[in-house]
Amino acid sequence: MDLIISLVINGLATGMLIFLLAAGLTLIFGLMDVLNFAHGGLFVWGAYAGIFSYAYTGSFTLGIIAAIITGLILGFIMEKLIIKPVYGNHVQQILITLGTMLVLQEMIKVFFGPNVVAVKVPELLAGSWQVGDIIIIKYRIFIIIFGFIVFGLFHYILTRTKIGLIVRAGVMNKEMVQALGINIKRIFLFVFMTGAALAAVAGVLMAPYSGAIYAELGMEYAILAFIVVVIGGMGSFQGSLFAAILVGLAGSFMAYYVPYLSLAVNMIIMAVVLIFRPQGLFTAAKG
Amino acid sequence: MMNKPLLLSRSNIILFIILLALIAFPFVMDSRTLTILITQILIFGILAMSYDILLGYTGIVSFGHAMFFGIGAYCTAIMLNDFESTIGTFIGSIIVGMIIAGILSFIVGLLTLRLKSHFFAMLTMAISGLLLVVAEKWRDVTRGNDGFTFKAPEVFKDRVMFYLVVLALLVIVFIALKRFVSSPLGRVLIAVRENEQRTKSLGFKTLYYKVIASVVAGVIASLAGSLYAVSLRFVNTSVLTMEVTLDALLMTIIGGVGTLIGPLIGSVVIESAQHYLSGLARDFPIFERWIIFFGIIYILAVIFFPKGIVGTLQMKYFQWKNKKNQLNVVPLSKNKESSK
Repeated sequence: MDLIISLVINGLATGMLIFLLAAGLTLIFGLMDVLNFAHGGLFVWGAYAGIFSYAYTGSFTLGIIAAIITGLILGFIMEKLIIKPVYGNHVQQILITLGTMLVLQEMIKVFFGPNVVAVKVPELLAGSWQVGDIIIIKYRIFIIIFGFIVFGLFHYILTRTKIGLIVRAGVMNKEMVQALGINIKRIFLFVFMTGAALAAVAGVLMAPYSGAIYAELGMEYAILAFIVVVIGGMGSFQGSLFAAILVGLAGSFMAYYVPYLSLAVNMIIMAVVLIFRPQGLFTAAKG
Repeated sequence: MMNKPLLLSRSNIILFIILLALIAFPFVMDSRTLTILITQILIFGILAMSYDILLGYTGIVSFGHAMFFGIGAYCTAIMLNDFESTIGTFIGSIIVGMIIAGILSFIVGLLTLRLKSHFFAMLTMAISGLLLVVAEKWRDVTRGNDGFTFKAPEVFKDRVMFYLVVLALLVIVFIALKRFVSSPLGRVLIAVRENEQRTKSLGFKTLYYKVIASVVAGVIASLAGSLYAVSLRFVNTSVLTMEVTLDALLMTIIGGVGTLIGPLIGSVVIESAQHYLSGLARDFPIFERWIIFFGIIYILAVIFFPKGIVGTLQMKYFQWKNKKNQLNVVPLSKNKESSK
């Protein structure tokens, strides 16, 4: 029982991190029909920017804010310079965002150095609680709570506010939204920047969790996020939460019981989903 | 494009002269570094050509090309290491690598090619990422990131000999792929690239054709991997990394998609730039990150010159030719119109 609880906590924490990354990816895809292969680059930029400001100021909150700002700025630049010229052309989008990923990843090495940076958990969140025989690591609980807050917040924005209505309508049918006199281009920019910021936050939260950051990390997590987006269904916000938790839990249980299968399990889930439901488990209605 | 390819057309003669120069090169210039560099260029040229079958001819973006390259490299390395290191084993290992790569690309293709371009790119990336992790973990066979050295067959101790073999294979692959893309099957692939929906409604099972393209590309990539392993006499998990795919991608995009010469030129550009720019890094540390420049050039190329070096030149050439034709041959073409 104790074991199961701690495995569940591990799985949920990993799942939440992947969710933050996948949420932006899925929204951007659902709305703009752009699959952002540079998402991992934004993730790792968030991690570096956040951790360096955390090390500089000593405040993890400031680190998170720095990551958000970095994400927003990079998202803005990317949308304007890189995504805009290739709207509607899938092959070019894939190629160009992958190139961006490459540049972002190498830029990390130029700005922050090519070495692995060790990261310590902030003092307030370090250590663990002991409940009976179960040891609960505080930081993991923090990630889980943070993830659910983000989910709640976005769920609220998407379902209860006007901007959320526009975004959801845009996912369904962007021509119609445009015909109603809404500047969809601005919504695109807004969603892209938000997605980038979410990826950056995921990066900075992941850093103390894994204990070390390096430039190639972005790619590794981006692959997990891609798997999650495929399982959950492109463009579906709830789907990506569900799939992220599924992938997180499957990973943590497999890592304990059948270690050599722990990475294959994601692929197996994905293959099964693709064979039986190629559109993903949850799919946003497309008009 | 329309007229039948002549054996002695102008471009074929140019290619033939280049080929002769390449054959003569090691005997004229006795430079070990240059021979090795050109061998690398040729090997990556094979890889990039195979990638272009997917990207340039069929119009599907695969991010998992490294896995086939890696399979070839490991097959050759493991077999040369475990069995007697002879030319027979070498040929056998190439064939085994090709078969495994063929089977894998068939399965991956069947599983993923039904999906839209986005999903395919993503899934191939995920699968090859997974294969990399498996290779890292399966240390008994691959020795992980440390890799292992092995003995190349006795014949290849001579760099020039190996160079000539690679050159010969490149020529064979080039001719074979040329035949492949100009066969009816290749034409269907181009049709898929131009408009998959329409090709489907013309009655072609596009999935079947796309799987064939992916198998052909995978098999050739495996050959490139085998050669690469022998050229280094060393193999580690870096042959499976995204960087190999990126190299192929950069070469194809910068050289020119949809042509077979393009990837070869791309390979020349990228490999020699890599060689000389990392040489510059001693004086200017920024060149250690030379990939940034390539990334930026690549992004600009995708936006402004989506056809690459060869494609852009070709376009310019056709425009120039058309202009000339228009000036001279306008009456003739009018006659043709009216005679219809």
